Amino acid sequence: MKKRIVSTLVLVLSLLLCMGVSFAGEVIKVGAGQPITGRFAFAGKHIHQGLMDSLDYANEQGGVGGMNFKYIYEDTGYDLKRAIASFKKIMAQDNPVMMYGESTGVGKAMAPEINSRYHVVYGSTSFSEELADRQKNPYTFVSGPTYAQQFGVLLKYIAGQPKKNNKPHRVAFFYSDTEFGRDPIPFARKLAKELGIEVVAEEVTKVGAVDITSQLLDLKRNKPDYCIFQGYVVPPIPEVIRGAKDFGLDIKFMGTFWAMTKMLLDKLGPDGEGYMGVSPYSYWYMDEVPMIQAMHAYSKKHHPDVAYRPSSYMQGWFTGMIYVKLAKLCHEAGLPITGENLKNMIPKVQNWDTGGLNGVVSFANSNATATGKVYKAQGGKFVAVSDWIKLDE
Amino acid sequence: MHIGDFKETYSSDQAVFINATSRFWLGVLFAVLFLFPFVAGDYLLFMANLAGITIIGAVGLNILTGFTGLISLGHAAFIGVGGYTAAILSTRFDLPFLLCLPLSGLMAAFFGIIVGGPSLRLKGLYLCIATLAAQLILEFVFVHWESLTGGIRGMNISPPQIFGYVLDNDFKFYFVTLVMVILCVTFARNLFRTRVGRAFIAIRDRDISAELMGINLLQYKTYAFALSSFMAGISGCLWVNFLKTVTPEHFPLMESVRYLAMVIVGGMGSILGSILGAIFMTIVPELISTFLGFLVNIFPTAMSFLFPLQQVIFGLLIVIFLVFEPHGLAEIWRRIKNYFHLWPFEH
Repeated sequence: MKKRIVSTLVLVLSLLLCMGVSFAGEVIKVGAGQPITGRFAFAGKHIHQGLMDSLDYANEQGGVGGMNFKYIYEDTGYDLKRAIASFKKIMAQDNPVMMYGESTGVGKAMAPEINSRYHVVYGSTSFSEELADRQKNPYTFVSGPTYAQQFGVLLKYIAGQPKKNNKPHRVAFFYSDTEFGRDPIPFARKLAKELGIEVVAEEVTKVGAVDITSQLLDLKRNKPDYCIFQGYVVPPIPEVIRGAKDFGLDIKFMGTFWAMTKMLLDKLGPDGEGYMGVSPYSYWYMDEVPMIQAMHAYSKKHHPDVAYRPSSYMQGWFTGMIYVKLAKLCHEAGLPITGENLKNMIPKVQNWDTGGLNGVVSFANSNATATGKVYKAQGGKFVAVSDWIKLDE
Repeated sequence: MHIGDFKETYSSDQAVFINATSRFWLGVLFAVLFLFPFVAGDYLLFMANLAGITIIGAVGLNILTGFTGLISLGHAAFIGVGGYTAAILSTRFDLPFLLCLPLSGLMAAFFGIIVGGPSLRLKGLYLCIATLAAQLILEFVFVHWESLTGGIRGMNISPPQIFGYVLDNDFKFYFVTLVMVILCVTFARNLFRTRVGRAFIAIRDRDISAELMGINLLQYKTYAFALSSFMAGISGCLWVNFLKTVTPEHFPLMESVRYLAMVIVGGMGSILGSILGAIFMTIVPELISTFLGFLVNIFPTAMSFLFPLQQVIFGLLIVIFLVFEPHGLAEIWRRIKNYFHLWPFEH
């Protein structure tokens, strides 16, 4: 009797072990160090939710070749040291093939080790040019256009607008004195020159600056037709727009991704009417977009009390879509899903229909999509005023 | 039980290791520290390196703040000076790591001396503000002297080498950090058995009396700034070579505050305190986050409530430690040790 029990136990245990092995083989692990707390939490928690939902949605659709995604995450509090520690912790414990990180700083700090040791595909909250540089960092990608490419989209849009009295368009750059603010400026200067746009002023402030009088006076002196903000989330954009209104300046204000949020429009109130900018993604209220419809359906099922998802959620969701796409490409090519193979698939993402979330995109010359749409605020919502603008065409 | 500990000479009173027992445990500690990397994974090694580099910085600040009584809010900037010096010397001039290390320390010490200049006239909060200015000015320089520092994008450096041996992972780097921690801690511990160290303490306790005793205040305060910044520089050099990248974001004002907190939590005027404080401030947040991560796995819906708790718990822990033991972790450790010395006789 005892012998039978022992042999049954052995059989059950070995079966369980085998099942464990087969389960382990059917999971594609995605690790993430997310800034769920800290000063970036306002976006971080939505990015986290977006990425988690996107992977779960892919699982509901059948995963990739029968394999499901497993999302492993940690809170990093937007702290460089903690973020690196959780990267290493997740790599050591779970050894995922894809990773997600919280900032440009972490991406840059980890890039050498990702290239030489970890060999994982790495996405992040950052739109920095350096992380989209395929020659330097082949494993890292940007979930949309880089800041420079976003500026490119705006400048291309401006160049296509009718000129006042047949004179070149006059543009001002208004940016914060941070990496986030300065990242696209050299490229933007060069491109403006190529497109025949005159850069008449460059205003630099600290993040969250309140006293912007001297910058406003400078804008008044130089009379730009357009003013593009970079490197801010909310302040001092409302102050600048209101100040310009008080001075009676006729300037079209524009922003890039982080300054294209509902949060900013809410702060601007009626002054936000006509505010423009570029975003790589469609907005939650654009019901006609197929991928947004899919999100709505998913949300209705899993988060029935959610009424709105901000653009940072879209960023997380789109990053999830890229992970799934890379895994699918690997699977279609009959290759095992490893970091190395996934990396090789990044340049093979060509003319990919993202269901309207990000247009039809390619990772053509860099590990970024180089595609964006120009929106204009009307009645507290963003309305598209251009089609998807591709920078590399 | 530990008895019969009579000190009959001044030198025995000043001995660092008072008896065979302490030497034995120190041996055990060294053995554990040496064997640790062979059993630890990547994550633990990263944390160990981080703690080691932080210990050097904290010991440096304790020399200045804990032992000499000069409060500094510019420590992170001095670490930054060391870090940038290392990055610039290794990328522009191709200097080897072993040369960069002392040079980074010396450069930081040079800046420390300049900032320490006003300390003869300024004391307490006033000096604190002067060092705050140094922090802000140096941060500004890191960001804006683009041709030298690479501006906001910073600089990337290749892995350091020692005699052709490339230190390209946390395991190899651990040994460098360990050796540097041992050297710095030994130096700091012995410093306070010399005239210079005693002069620091005299200045802290009452500067006028110290001057009456014949201590040249300017000279010794400058020494304190130089030594403290030198260690900060070493810490910065290790940090940059460990991460292989440097940007101004690595050395914000909050980092200076964090170092000050380490010294206070660990124990002002105690080398052991700096070590414990640095370990506490590095490891405890990780422990809390691991614990909360574990809870989040069980209660996924409580995530938005649990993660922000991290800061609250950490803050509370600091307050509780300070309320129950204002002399810091070093004092708690001393009491635990004394308890076992006398065990089983409490009195």
